[in-house]
Amino acid sequence: MTDLAALAGPLWPYLVVVLVGFLPTEIWRMLGVVLARGLDDRSEILVWVRAVATTLLAGVVAKLLIAPSEPLALVPLAGRLGSVLVGLLAFFALRRSVIAGVICGEIALIAITALVVR
Amino acid sequence: MKRSASRCETGDASTGPQPRSRSGRSAFWLGMRDSLMLPAWVVGLSVLGIGSLAHDVGHPAGAAMLSTLLIWASPAQVILYGGLAAGAALPALAVVICLSSIRFLPMTISLLPLLRRPGQGLALQLLIAHYIAITVWTESLRRLPAMPAEERLAYYFGFANTTIGVSALLTGLGYYLAGTVPTPLGAGLIFLTPVFFTMTLSAGARTVADWSAILLGFALAPVFTGLIGRDFDLLATGLVGGTAAYLIGRRQRGAR
Repeated sequence: MTDLAALAGPLWPYLVVVLVGFLPTEIWRMLGVVLARGLDDRSEILVWVRAVATTLLAGVVAKLLIAPSEPLALVPLAGRLGSVLVGLLAFFALRRSVIAGVICGEIALIAITALVVR
Repeated sequence: MKRSASRCETGDASTGPQPRSRSGRSAFWLGMRDSLMLPAWVVGLSVLGIGSLAHDVGHPAGAAMLSTLLIWASPAQVILYGGLAAGAALPALAVVICLSSIRFLPMTISLLPLLRRPGQGLALQLLIAHYIAITVWTESLRRLPAMPAEERLAYYFGFANTTIGVSALLTGLGYYLAGTVPTPLGAGLIFLTPVFFTMTLSAGARTVADWSAILLGFALAPVFTGLIGRDFDLLATGLVGGTAAYLIGRRQRGAR
């Protein structure tokens, strides 16, 4: 890999994006295209596939909240989860408004961070 | 993010698959407008931090923007630049990124049939699939079914290209803001991805099955992380939780 880095020179960071980032993620989308061929958009299996996708996305949210990266990791877990709850309350209170949920959740989190992190 | 009202004008003018038709063009602009109403900016702000992560590992701004255009999955981008900063081995990093992105498989399978048209080639379908990420997926599943089949693709490309374009530009902006953002704001930017995912999922949820999937995914992910580790936890969460949510939804439908 280091030989490859020397060979690529200034293009190395772009190559890393393609080889280490793009291909490993895109392979799932490509496989999805192949598997979706011939599937009717009203077929029962799609209902299951959609449930799996939604579950996976919620799982990603949980992982991002439980083990976040640096500045967010400085906020205690209760603060992160509490801020999402604040956002959800605003979301439902204001007739399922995504922007209200995002803004209120963000305000809660930024306020908590300002209080906790010195 | 309400359904737009001005869509009725794009009615009958063309029924053929040609994308340059009048109805196709206005559907494209409509998608663009719907994206600029909010989604593009939220996704864009949530990848602002990717720019500064790339800056921290000494990569150029162009590579950071390319990562948004090509990878188009902020959790994977965070793993990439976080891993590079920690000095992780690249093949191992590729495997971790691959396992973290399994969601794109069911997301693609469930969206593509909505955008399929007669005579559509494999290359076009691969291009369609490339734009799939949380926002594009949930918004498309929500809006496309009510749209005439021949308008959907133009709308989709308008929405998806705008969202990814704004996000790439803001990734570049984040690169130059690296180190200047105060801690609370920096934490807020990282928090954008999970909080926006939560709201988007909640906005897209209509049935008991949808809500079960969200709750099960959220609850099971940490359980499986503890049971089988950080690599295959999402796969197990999706299969077990998703199947359970599907069965709950089927019982519900049967009862009605």
